[in-house]
Amino acid sequence: MPDHASTDFHEHETAVRPDDRFDVVRSDDGRWYTVTGLCPTCRATVVFRVAYGVLGPSKRLWGRDPHRPEPLTGSVTVFCQCGYPHAERPPESPDTGCGAFWDVPVSGTGAGQGAAS
Amino acid sequence: MTDLAKKRFAQLGQQLQYDQLSTVRRQAEGWRNGLTGLTGLVGVVFVLKGRESVAGMPGVWRWTTALLLVAAFVLLLAGALCAVRAAHGQLGQGTWLSGERLLAAVLDEVERTQSAVITARRLSIAGLSAIVIAIAVSWLVPVKNAADPAGSGKDGPYVLVVTDRGTECGTLVVGDAGAVTIKQAKAKAESDKEAPQKTTLDDARQWHRIPADDVRSVVPTDGC
Ligand SMILES: [Zn+2]
Ligand SMILES: [Zn+2]
Repeated sequence: MPDHASTDFHEHETAVRPDDRFDVVRSDDGRWYTVTGLCPTCRATVVFRVAYGVLGPSKRLWGRDPHRPEPLTGSVTVFCQCGYPHAERPPESPDTGCGAFWDVPVSGTGAGQGAAS
Repeated sequence: MTDLAKKRFAQLGQQLQYDQLSTVRRQAEGWRNGLTGLTGLVGVVFVLKGRESVAGMPGVWRWTTALLLVAAFVLLLAGALCAVRAAHGQLGQGTWLSGERLLAAVLDEVERTQSAVITARRLSIAGLSAIVIAIAVSWLVPVKNAADPAGSGKDGPYVLVVTDRGTECGTLVVGDAGAVTIKQAKAKAESDKEAPQKTTLDDARQWHRIPADDVRSVVPTDGC
């Protein structure tokens, strides 16, 4: 496991490094995804969770399993939540990482997903 | 290129994972208030409009109206309970407060709250429809006119007519400027016994026309 790089806090968009691998795993009941991988900037292991939520009354069809929402498609924006203290992070910032964020593509099956796609 | 809005939405999404239960509860409260207001409005309309219309209705329709109202009451009561349950949660529901269980419980409760709101909305709409149908029935069903001379029979309104010669009692047939015509109940009972086939003729004979000049007073009464 690579050591954590104490970079200065800086909100910046980056990309998954070509040799890194992000796992996108759907939970057993299908209601959340767990994205796990190394932060491209500070090299900490980041676990990012995306839950299924509601914005209004769901327009569910009768007879469908209400506990299993549609699979997530496209990509998930993940931001670093490494938990290490990064210099220059403003005290009022809700961030708990180095400030980096990047996209992780979600495959149809929700299983592990490489970076190069 | 740094698109910070993308990160902000990602952060908002993370925050909503913790906040969505209270968001849904607030939403349910809004729905509950809306449904309560709607129910109250239609209820007031019914109280103002329906009561007197029901009184003279034929029995079947009166029962229909009553059943519709009872159904409406049950539906609205269930709807109101559902709405309260959605806005404030089920009593006595518990979960282990570990992170994993809590996340699952929050997601569960969000779904249950949503479906309770939807159920409350359906029940309220059904209840309101029942009330509206009851109002429509009370408006559209013809009210039986008790003063109708042809159908009145023994049930007609009796009047006590005081004249110079004495007091006459019977069913009011017609009253106008010239005279008061009554059908005398006692005579009718006798004629029914003797010659039931000649009822129509007898009816005409029983009609007692009292000239208006003779009439001192006409008083409604329960019977003769
Ligand atoms: Zn870090
Ligand atoms: Zn980082």
